[in-house]
Amino acid sequence: MIPTQWFLILSAILFAIGVCGVLTRKNGITIFMSIELMVNAVNLTFLAYARQFHQLHGLIFVFFVMAIAAAEAAVGLAIFISLFHHRETIDVDEANLMHW
Amino acid sequence: MLEYVIFFFFAAVAVIFALVVVLHRNPVVGALSLVVSFFSLAVMYVLLDAPFLAALQVIVYAGAIMVLFLFVIMLLNLQHMSEPATRPIQQFLGYTASAAFAIGVVYYLVKYAVFTTMPSGIFHTDSTSIGVAIFESYVFPFEMVSILLLAAIVGALLLSGRSSGGQAPSPVQSDLPS
Repeated sequence: MIPTQWFLILSAILFAIGVCGVLTRKNGITIFMSIELMVNAVNLTFLAYARQFHQLHGLIFVFFVMAIAAAEAAVGLAIFISLFHHRETIDVDEANLMHW
Repeated sequence: MLEYVIFFFFAAVAVIFALVVVLHRNPVVGALSLVVSFFSLAVMYVLLDAPFLAALQVIVYAGAIMVLFLFVIMLLNLQHMSEPATRPIQQFLGYTASAAFAIGVVYYLVKYAVFTTMPSGIFHTDSTSIGVAIFESYVFPFEMVSILLLAAIVGALLLSGRSSGGQAPSPVQSDLPS
C-alpha cells in the first residue's frame, strides 16, 4: 500500500504548478485551466486523507467539488465568450471594464 | 511492487503534462495535456481505493469540462492568436513565488506529515455506500448543488447568448469605450 504522504507531495507539486500558471500567464483560458488543475490537486489531498482515516466524508466532498467546478467552468467560459465579443481578446490584462 | 511502479509512472505523467499546460503557448495543446493529466489523476484515485470517483473524474472532468474548454477555444479561434509576452518582473515573481510555495509545502509534508500507522481493514467506497451517505446525511447540500447548477446554466446562457434581435446591440455594449 502506497504511503499517504506520497499522494500529499504529488498534490502539493500539482497545486504549485497551477499557482505558477495563474501567476505567469495572460491567456484567460490557460489561467482557467490552471485553476482546474489546482482544484484537482485539492481533490487528491481529500482522497488521500479519506483513505488514511477511513472517512467517507472526504469522498463526498470531492463529489461536491466536482459539481461546483463544472458550474464554475460553465459560467467562467461564458464570461470569456462575452468578453471576446466585446473586446476581441481574452487577455486578462485587457479585461479592465470595471477599472475606474 | 506493481502499484509503486504504477504510482511513479502516472505521477510523472501528471506532473509533466501539468507543466505542459502552464508552459505551452497554444491553448489547444494545453487543454489536451490537461485531459492526460486528469486521466493520470483518475489512476491515482483508483490507487486510493476510490474507483467510483475515478469514473466520475474521467466522465465529468476529462469528458464534460475539458470538452467545454475545447469548444470555447475552437469557437473563439484562439489557436491563431499569439499571446503577448508577460512582463519580466511578473514572470520572475510568479516562478519564484510558486517555486518557494512548492518547496515549503513539500518540506513540511516530508518532515511532519508522516503517518506511522497505515490504514487497516477494508475501506468501503462503492457507489452504494457513497449514495447512502449523500442521500442521508448530505441531502441538503446535494439539493443546494442542484440549485447552484441550475443557476449556473441560466447564468451561462445569459452571459454568452447574443441579444435576441440579432442586430440590435445590447445596452451594455453601446456604453463601452472601445
